[in-house]
Amino acid sequence: MTKGPLKHFQDVDDARRTLESAGYVCTPDIATVVFLAAAGDKPILVEGPAGVGKTELAKAMATGLGYELIRLQCYEGLDEAKALYEWEYAKQLLYMQMVRENVNDLLAGADSLADAVDLIAAQADVFFSDRFLLPRPLLQAILSPTPVVLLVDEVDKSDPEFEAFLLELLSDFQVTIPELGTRRAVGVPLVVLTSNAFRDLSDALKRRCLHLYIDYPEADVEREIVRRQVPGLSEALARQMTSAMARIRRLELKKRPSIAETLDWARALINLQIESLSPEAVLATLSVICKYREDSDLVRKDLNGVVNL
Amino acid sequence: MEAMVLKFVDAVRAAGLRVSTVEVMDCLNHLSLVDVLDEGQFATVLRSSFAKSYPERLRFDQLYHLFFHELRERLEPTSEPLADHAEALRQALVDAEPERAELGPIADFLVARPEAYLRLITNLSNPEPAQAAMGDQFGAGLSGIGPRLSVLMALDRVSPLLKAFLEENRHQIPYDLRRALEDEIRRRLSTARRLLLRVDQPLGRGPVEPRAAVADVYGDLGNTPFANLSPREMRRMSDTIATLVRKLRDSASRRFAARARGVPDLRGTLRAAMRTQGTPIVLKFRHKPQRKARILALCDVSSSVWSYARFTLTMLYALQDCFGRVRSFVFVDEPVEVTHHFDDHEVAQALQLVLKSPEITFEASTDYGRMLRLFESRHMDAVDKKTTVIIIGDGRTNYRDPAPTVLAEIRSHARRVLWLNPESSPFWHTGDSEMRTYEPLCNEVRPCQNLNQLAAFFHELVL
Ligand SMILES: Nc1ncnc2c1ncn2[C@@H]1O[C@H](COP(=O)(O)OP(=O)(O)OP(=O)(O)O)[C@@H](O)[C@H]1O
Ligand SMILES: [Mg+2]
Repeated sequence: MTKGPLKHFQDVDDARRTLESAGYVCTPDIATVVFLAAAGDKPILVEGPAGVGKTELAKAMATGLGYELIRLQCYEGLDEAKALYEWEYAKQLLYMQMVRENVNDLLAGADSLADAVDLIAAQADVFFSDRFLLPRPLLQAILSPTPVVLLVDEVDKSDPEFEAFLLELLSDFQVTIPELGTRRAVGVPLVVLTSNAFRDLSDALKRRCLHLYIDYPEADVEREIVRRQVPGLSEALARQMTSAMARIRRLELKKRPSIAETLDWARALINLQIESLSPEAVLATLSVICKYREDSDLVRKDLNGVVNL
Repeated sequence: MEAMVLKFVDAVRAAGLRVSTVEVMDCLNHLSLVDVLDEGQFATVLRSSFAKSYPERLRFDQLYHLFFHELRERLEPTSEPLADHAEALRQALVDAEPERAELGPIADFLVARPEAYLRLITNLSNPEPAQAAMGDQFGAGLSGIGPRLSVLMALDRVSPLLKAFLEENRHQIPYDLRRALEDEIRRRLSTARRLLLRVDQPLGRGPVEPRAAVADVYGDLGNTPFANLSPREMRRMSDTIATLVRKLRDSASRRFAARARGVPDLRGTLRAAMRTQGTPIVLKFRHKPQRKARILALCDVSSSVWSYARFTLTMLYALQDCFGRVRSFVFVDEPVEVTHHFDDHEVAQALQLVLKSPEITFEASTDYGRMLRLFESRHMDAVDKKTTVIIIGDGRTNYRDPAPTVLAEIRSHARRVLWLNPESSPFWHTGDSEMRTYEPLCNEVRPCQNLNQLAAFFHELVL
């Protein structure tokens, strides 16, 4: 790591302020990791249950810093053509057609066979040039002249081969395109990888990254998130519903509600003009919180406990 | 501070976390960038550098608290006259019963040098292969418990030895200091005990949560535990499973059909076309080897799961029927491949064949450790990075060595290791169940007692 002016953020607090300016409610833990990753050009590997704001973190980094967000969604079978670059075949075909139709004009100036061959070869060079290159997210991130945040979402869904390829890319931020040569990133992008621990990632990749685990938020953090994202919710109701949410998450549920559910719930309560959380109010909005029937049943059994009566 | 961090790294490594030198260097660099007097930041730097997954993070937090809080205070060498006496006590503990090897690490631990003790208890839950094999050779069903017991006994010796030490030194050490020393050592002793008992407790399932929502289509039948079914319900259940399999197979084959044809490879086609003046005469296709889930299932058919064996085997049969490339093994204390039975016969007949197979050692008592070791030595070539290993069983291994390192080894070769347990989770940590040992080693562990749970599992496997 080079000493000298720090990249992207001044210090941990600056990172926090930047994220908050993008509407992201940030724990000290998150701010510290984001700051360190930016300062040391390290990717962040974010893990945590669904809907706790993993993806949102990358978005907030981009918004807060005013950088472009480039997103690569991983899935089984994702390959380099989809992630790095492809050639624009349709355009290439058109171009080829054109060359063929105009080949006589083109060769009009040629004095010898050798000249003619050179002229044709020059046309063929254009064939595999930037003009017909279609950059996919990873190459976009490398070629971007301005700083970017690269979000590699759900990297655990990709195949091990792709992970190995990604690791290589993350260590030197350059790619070699056989027809064009090597392209190197102007500035190292801020990289955020997210994972749901669907499968283990390789040790090599984990070593390369700073690890950040985002858990369900503490009630007061969640209250802050709700307050920001759902204007018009009273402070008292926000307090009641976030602590009710914390208690619901402690039940043995099949799927614990995430922040997204809390936000939906807040909106539902406002729409129903509910001002204070009662067992009846929870019952009326239960379908927003629980997606499984068994889960609803569990909450229904303990309504008083949930609203803390 | 660097020295302190390095010492902490020793402790973390002793406790079984893999920390590379690069990570240590990164960590020290990062510390220079933050406010180390802010403990939140300090801890985050260490955590994000050393703990790289959810289970590791839980372990890390325990160690961090132990190292920087529980053991830091009061016996700091520079701080108090206590430190001198602590050293004398340590010596006394070691000298008192030299034949008790565990007392050394324990004594070190009590005076804030935790590495040896951490290593000791970490090795208990991950026995060296040699050690494990030895336990097996002597047929000691207790090999998993034996070493732990001797640590516990050594811990029990500390109290009387401490008393004796204080008694002996009652004239050399003032009353207040004696009291303080006794309190502190007792506090740490209970920490040491807690660590021993806690260390192989489940680290939690981590962030894995069921993804696909499966509608509750099977009604009451779907929620009835397999073990409680009446004969009539059993027949209905078999039919229902067959239907389930058919549906899943359809959706799986639809999904793969498009890929099987191969996608047109425009790039290849164009390259070929350049040779023919741009007229694409030869069409090229890309036949990416399609990735079908490769599954290897290991199914317990011992007496403790006899009441579910019918269903676990039906499950296994269904698996193989549903997903193209499945290899099925059953075991009591030895894995036996039954793939061919399932391939060649319809379900009822296949079950009969398996349950009567002379190769399967039904009379033996269940031994997961032996099964895993035999599997490793005989069938490991069946596991590669594309293989999902599914173990179906209750993890009850008659107090024998559970061989967790072997399971870890299998996992490191596989894509994922999933465990389906026919018992409900409150029972996993009782009696001879080794689920607490196995759980942290699997990508996912889930109860599978009824049709709904089974259907949900299959569904996610296909998706
Ligand atoms: N700290 C936060 N501040 C503000 N909004 C947040 C925060 N955390 C989460 N949210 C909100 O919660 C919702 C879910 O977040 P997000 O989609 O990022 O979750 P995720 O962890 O990526 O989930 P998944 O694992 O399902 O992809 C978003 O609408 C986001 O706006
Ligand atoms: Mg997401």
